[in-house]
Amino acid sequence: MIEIASTSWDAMVAHAESTFPNECCGAMLGKNGSEKKFVTEAVAFENAFHGEQAARYEISPEDLLAADKAARDRGLDLIGIYHSHPDCDAYFSKTDLENSCPWYSFVVLSIKAGKFDHANSFLPDYEQTRAEREELKWQKS
Amino acid sequence: MAKILIPTALRQFTEQKDAVDVSGATVGEALTSLTAQYPNLRKNLFNDAGKLRSFVNVYVNDEDIRYLEKTETKVTSDTTLSIVPSIAGGSSVVADPVDTAATTLTNEEIARFSRHLILSEVGMEGQVKLKNAKIAMVGAGGLGAPVGLYLAAAGIGRVGIIDFDVVDASNLQRQVIHGTKDLGRKKLDSAADRMKDINPNMRIDKYDTGLTSANAFEILRDYDIVIDGTDNFPTRYLVNDACVLLKKPNVYGSIFRFEGQATVFAYGDGPCYRCLYPEPPPPGLVPSCAEGGVLGILPGLIGVVQATEAVKIILGVGETLKNRLLLYDALNMRFRELKLRRDKDCPVCGDHPTVTQLIDYQQFCGVGEPVAAPAVEGVIGPVEVKQKQDRGDMFTLIDVREPHEYRIASIPGAVLIPLGQLPARLGELDKDADIVAHCKTGARSQKAVDLLKQNGFKHVRNMTGGIAAWSDKVDPKVPKY
Repeated sequence: MIEIASTSWDAMVAHAESTFPNECCGAMLGKNGSEKKFVTEAVAFENAFHGEQAARYEISPEDLLAADKAARDRGLDLIGIYHSHPDCDAYFSKTDLENSCPWYSFVVLSIKAGKFDHANSFLPDYEQTRAEREELKWQKS
Repeated sequence: MAKILIPTALRQFTEQKDAVDVSGATVGEALTSLTAQYPNLRKNLFNDAGKLRSFVNVYVNDEDIRYLEKTETKVTSDTTLSIVPSIAGGSSVVADPVDTAATTLTNEEIARFSRHLILSEVGMEGQVKLKNAKIAMVGAGGLGAPVGLYLAAAGIGRVGIIDFDVVDASNLQRQVIHGTKDLGRKKLDSAADRMKDINPNMRIDKYDTGLTSANAFEILRDYDIVIDGTDNFPTRYLVNDACVLLKKPNVYGSIFRFEGQATVFAYGDGPCYRCLYPEPPPPGLVPSCAEGGVLGILPGLIGVVQATEAVKIILGVGETLKNRLLLYDALNMRFRELKLRRDKDCPVCGDHPTVTQLIDYQQFCGVGEPVAAPAVEGVIGPVEVKQKQDRGDMFTLIDVREPHEYRIASIPGAVLIPLGQLPARLGELDKDADIVAHCKTGARSQKAVDLLKQNGFKHVRNMTGGIAAWSDKVDPKVPKY
């Protein structure tokens, strides 16, 4: 189970809506508890994909390293990665899976006609062949 | 000793240390040293073959080792190594979303499917099953039209459509998923637009191709159920064999003139299409809908039966048509059933199958090039027939279609002798005359040519493409039907 604090969630939704019709991406920092993961900070990244970004995103290693360092400095963990699917459901696509990492939760936000529609979280496996749906909750502001 | 910075996600494996000192002269040796100290880290970094996992990138100071000497890159005591996963993705319409089963419905879906939800046989659980279901539709024509509309409306989560045709005016009499505005569009696009309009949450995979032995497994393997809406025997046998071999239910339907059939093949211990029809009919014996005609409403009923069976299979409720062939006669409005049983000697689904992979179905059904070759010398194109007429050549053009077809469209100067009457009316023709026969598209007139030759007529030729080709190539004022 992954739960996202309202301030982080609002920031993620605002980020995803602002980049519409392109995909956005970012990292989620927080605490990896035994019962649940709790996200307390969203870090927006630039989409580093070279080309049409309406259906693709890429995270630059520098951004990811910096986010990991930021987490470390604040005593937090890098829990997950979020990105948006503009005018598309929040499924975990083959592209998502093949470029994923099993260390993280992957939250996908469906943005339809520029507005948040729904979201899902996924846990990819080590072989990048399957992703399990993870229960996702966010706190309302 | 070099130092490796541990990503926060992996610190659970390094006793919460965020940096680990390692020995070794290369990156490979340093990583080996790291996993020797913390064995639980190993599967996070290496696959079973001992190779670095594809998502793991290692940086030596600020440089990616992929651009250095990879795991052979040298490290020294003041080197800092960082482990950074490479992460990307995207909704990428062309790529397949991964199987991630839904467990619930959104409020919008609950409102949309409320009439299903209050049926105890469906309920939340059933509607979630429908949402997670994946159905392949072979063909978006007469049968595919109602199937597609109702699968979309029923809340099937994912439908794959295999079709390479474009919408033609003659389709609109029965293919109700397409409209007049869609004329000339790909049936795939037209059908997908209409289905998405009914249920925007569904996913549609478009396959702009015919189903072939080369692509059938690749396409169909992703789906739970296959719905056969094909209009020809080679594809019907192909769908059947692929379904048997992939162990997927084949929801079958077929239509001709005023009659239709439906059943479920390759489902559990039930029979397959080959148990019912071990051999295809001789080519040309059974006319297609284009040749024989079809009541436009007929595929509506048969397609709806197919969609119903598919939905029942997903829900696991009721009794399907497995082991029963439903026969429907629209003209007399009668439904009948034939009992079917799996044939233990069936070459595909029997106890000792001999067909264990997909074969050449064109050849199996006797259609394709081998048949066309010998006919070449006995044929003439519509343009050449027109030239003969214009030159004033002495020849007889006979039209072997039915009188009601003749009233729709005819070629000036043609004599109407329906194929069925030809044996009795041979006396009207001169055995030494130059004779050209035509029909709608060339199949019946080929039979007429064969019959005339067998009866001693010396100069008989078939006009290729029939009156349809005449309309295309000679006189567009002649309507096509």
